[in-house]
Amino acid sequence: MTDSRRRWWRVFCSSLAALSATVAFVGQVLAHSGSLGANAGRGVAVPTWLFLATGGGVVGVSFVLSSLATDREFLRYVHEYRRTVGTTRHDLLVGLGRAVGLLGLVVVLATGFLAGRSEFPVALLADVPTDPLRNAAILLVWGGWWAGLAMSSYLVGNGWPVLNPFRTIVGWLPSLDRDLPVDGGWVATVGLLTLIWVEVVSPLADAAQLLATAVTLYGVVTVLGGVVVGDDYFTEYDPVARVFDAYGRVAPLTVEDGRLKLRSPGAGLQTPWVDSTGDIAFVVALLWGTTYDGLVATAPWADFARAVVGLGVPPVFLYPLVLAVGFAAFLGVYLLSVRYGRRIADTTLDSAELAARFAPSLLAIAAGYHVAHYLGYFLNLVPALANALANPLSPGQAFVFAIPGWFGLASLTFVIAGHVLAVWVAHGVGYELFPSRIQAVRSQYLLTLVMMFYTMTSLWIVSRPYEAPPFL
Amino acid sequence: MTHDCPYCDRTFVQESYRDLHLGHRHEGRLTTRERAAFERAYEREEDDLTLFRYKALGLLVLVYFGFLLAYAVSL
Repeated sequence: MTDSRRRWWRVFCSSLAALSATVAFVGQVLAHSGSLGANAGRGVAVPTWLFLATGGGVVGVSFVLSSLATDREFLRYVHEYRRTVGTTRHDLLVGLGRAVGLLGLVVVLATGFLAGRSEFPVALLADVPTDPLRNAAILLVWGGWWAGLAMSSYLVGNGWPVLNPFRTIVGWLPSLDRDLPVDGGWVATVGLLTLIWVEVVSPLADAAQLLATAVTLYGVVTVLGGVVVGDDYFTEYDPVARVFDAYGRVAPLTVEDGRLKLRSPGAGLQTPWVDSTGDIAFVVALLWGTTYDGLVATAPWADFARAVVGLGVPPVFLYPLVLAVGFAAFLGVYLLSVRYGRRIADTTLDSAELAARFAPSLLAIAAGYHVAHYLGYFLNLVPALANALANPLSPGQAFVFAIPGWFGLASLTFVIAGHVLAVWVAHGVGYELFPSRIQAVRSQYLLTLVMMFYTMTSLWIVSRPYEAPPFL
Repeated sequence: MTHDCPYCDRTFVQESYRDLHLGHRHEGRLTTRERAAFERAYEREEDDLTLFRYKALGLLVLVYFGFLLAYAVSL
């Protein structure tokens, strides 16, 4: 599994290089008045700084272009546009969704714990493979759930509240309905960072039994939390449910007043819903998690890790330390950019409110990177997933789709689309907050600079060739 | 010194911001004076926006030719 993810990563990186070359080629043609013959057969490579600057430039230009949309009526129309698609009061459908979720959990636990137990006395259960490409637990969790379902949550709509088997189980149990004395946003943030850390340092994508153990542990914690807090546990404290909820706000489909409604992309991010520093931290953690995941798989990281461990830092502490420091840096940069942006915007609104209103726009960027990382991975695994689900206990020979090289270019488009959507959302929020349109534009100067910087960092990371993280 | 909205608890650094806010958020209950102030502020904002659009256009041209030259020189 990890291998196929690596392979996909390589396709992504080489397509990135191909795109740079294409852009370079255009530049060259313009510069040499189309003297194709002279350049044929000579490789063109864009210097890294120029490639990164182009990425940042695209984001900056999209900010300038969106700032030219100054019609308040139009912006309000786009934000408030809703079209009723249907009703969600289909008990049968909800029940079916819950059953599918529970069935999925049973499959994951069974095929995870039984993987490789050929000594098992029941013949039917002794044939579950450990091969990641044939094991239903691994394919369902990484391919079906974390790639497929997560993508559907921001591209279509969030189905996790219904599918979530732990939420269904909690619904059957009595609840103490206690309020925890801690901020839900911070609990979810720490939980999310912990999950990212576990995912990076352990072979969860290769070892089915370990994965089933992790799912069990997470399930026990979640059900306990649900019993203590009640259903609010899933909207306040549970990191996974909150990731899906956050992604779901990017989606065009939403549920309002019991009806399924279509809205314009990003409209859910303009509506105020972040109301504490913990919530802001959670959004930033989601964004930083994607970056961290890519960062630790680069050669400069490997060099850095070896140097730091050479200085005497135990490798065990290195990964969580960098995860925490990087998160603090991301959060700090965001809050600082809002605080100084407030001065430029010339407003009496306080920084906390501005930070809360602009934070959701970052989710569009996170969704853009997620789809860029996982769409190819998901399509690649669809046949293997179908094969494993057709007969989880004894799947046949697995095969995967070969993803064509040009597909990486499509992924790049998603990365850029995510940033452009984020800039557009921030533009809309600025118009809602400030009476003067010049003020609205000014309020985003620093935020846009931060987004450009972030684009360049991410492009730098994804353009490095894959190198296995050391000390794991 | 801030300028308060008479109908809600928002405050503004500049008078023109408050006048614009009144026109956008409390359109139905404006006095004649407030309406006139809003219209004046709106016209001034339009002038500022025109200037801003020229600047934005200039910036786009600069970025475009900047990248064109950067690619031409470095390849």
